[in-house]
Amino acid sequence: MTQTGNTRIAFIETLTEIAAQDPTAALVCADSILVVKGQAFAQKYPERFVDVGIAEQNAVACAAGMASCGLVPFVATYAGFITMRACEQVRTFVAYPHLNVKLIGANGGISAGEREGVTHQFFEDLGIVRTIAGITVVVPADEAQVRHATRAIHKTPGPAYMRIGSGRDPLVDCEDVPFELGKVRVLADHGNDVVLFANGFVVNRALAAADVLSRQGVHPTVVDVHTLKPLDREAIVDLLRQTGAAVTVEDHNIIGGLGSAIAELSAEACPTPVMRIGLRDTYPRSGEPGPLLDYYHIGVADIVEAAKRAMQMRDRKVR
Amino acid sequence: MTAVVLRIKSIQYRLRLLEYIKKAGAGHTGGSLSCVDILNVLYNRVLNVSPENFADSRRDRYIQSKGHSVEALYVVLADKGFFPESDLETLCRFRSPYVGHPTRKIRGIEQNTGALGHGLAFSVGVALAGKKDNADYRVYTLLGDGELAEGSNWESMLTAAHYHLDNLTAIVDRNQLQISGHTESVCRLECLTEKFQAFGWSVRSVDGHDVTALADVLGSIPFEVGKPSMVIARTIKGKDVSFMEHDAKWHHGVPSDEQYERARRELETLLMEAGA
Repeated sequence: MTQTGNTRIAFIETLTEIAAQDPTAALVCADSILVVKGQAFAQKYPERFVDVGIAEQNAVACAAGMASCGLVPFVATYAGFITMRACEQVRTFVAYPHLNVKLIGANGGISAGEREGVTHQFFEDLGIVRTIAGITVVVPADEAQVRHATRAIHKTPGPAYMRIGSGRDPLVDCEDVPFELGKVRVLADHGNDVVLFANGFVVNRALAAADVLSRQGVHPTVVDVHTLKPLDREAIVDLLRQTGAAVTVEDHNIIGGLGSAIAELSAEACPTPVMRIGLRDTYPRSGEPGPLLDYYHIGVADIVEAAKRAMQMRDRKVR
Repeated sequence: MTAVVLRIKSIQYRLRLLEYIKKAGAGHTGGSLSCVDILNVLYNRVLNVSPENFADSRRDRYIQSKGHSVEALYVVLADKGFFPESDLETLCRFRSPYVGHPTRKIRGIEQNTGALGHGLAFSVGVALAGKKDNADYRVYTLLGDGELAEGSNWESMLTAAHYHLDNLTAIVDRNQLQISGHTESVCRLECLTEKFQAFGWSVRSVDGHDVTALADVLGSIPFEVGKPSMVIARTIKGKDVSFMEHDAKWHHGVPSDEQYERARRELETLLMEAGA
């Protein structure tokens, strides 16, 4: 049984701690206060809480206006309503003028839409924001990492997007590896046979796949690419060079997210077989996260298979 | 600044913005001409903003939602000393920061605008920040009437009324024309007054070319304590150039040499009549 935490609570508790130190920190919701469990924040800091109702475009543009006056607004609602409904506001009114707005997208990935269906499953958010210049994109691995990431984006001036989940988000035993914005985290170093790049709430699956591979005599390295933008190019290229075979693991369409980012970098800097694990450009069903991810080939067995395939391609120099 | 001086300034602004549009070979001519008097009264009579206090957090804020009329804003900002007017010789040229919509790269401009339907929401955020900080600055935004079809405006109107933002004023440049034609045939807006009132705003209508009336209305804000203020400024697209007035084709038309000379002569005649 996968142990889970709550990334939504991790975010809001951290923001509340930040607000105690920083009088400019604010929370902007679009009738999403319950989504991010923001009631306590709103009670404690009513003067720094704004709810614009179910109006995400308005929320993002208002936050831009607040940021222009020195506040640091965190806009928190569902990932797709920020990145799709308010995409232009994010691009033209937050990122282009480089305003200090933090965008917090809940229900990132297909596994987060357990009961709700495609309207509330968001597997394009990272691809969308990654194409917008000047915005930091962070995809933490679990609730503990969300706490670090929230503090990091608060400390770093400028626009940022951070993914959070459903509130039932797998825990990853990796607290001993420090979080630094813009730097990958090596979570397991079994060897240089293959590198597994993962982020978000499937990092636990990459780690489980690495254990399986190790038992089978294959020695992988598992890397958490929590900062999708700016990408830690130097470290990633080093890992590609050392291993010559890579797998990417993400709860996102294989187009636009981590798989694309690593493949682009590989093609430019160190051509390497890269197998992408993720949603294969389709609309998913709903259901419990575990079986759902397995059904869409984001399972441990799929990662193991992809790792072997990447190594075969390297060894046979398949073109 | 007296009404006569303001009137003269308006005509001078029109002359200059036509000159720069002509030189650049591009620009939103009709809409810039229609909003000149509003900008004139704002910057010369109402706003507490100047090159000297532009970094001061207590300054008033002006956000031009109808960003395509940036040529009018440029000439007013140059006149106020935010940058040398000669900068405008580079309008729309490669590497010039003076592009066809407002950007914060230009001193005096608060926010990038021009993608329509966003200025009001941004202004609501600025007004909210002012309320939360107990600051006494005021926020003004200029909307095109055509952009009122953007639903984002109406979201923002709800928020402004909900939070009692009486430090916020929106002015609609009601020239009744957008690029495709008459606003009422493209997508009917009327009855605007009743709509704004129903959204919780205090509304006044004014002749948008009468500088005295504009100064009176904009000087009596907020119209009601606890409510955001909406000014419907009745204007003429292409104002003061006879062959441009009331004609949608001048939305971003650039005059030919002959048309430019004719426009210049008409405006210079108006200047003399105004007592310049």
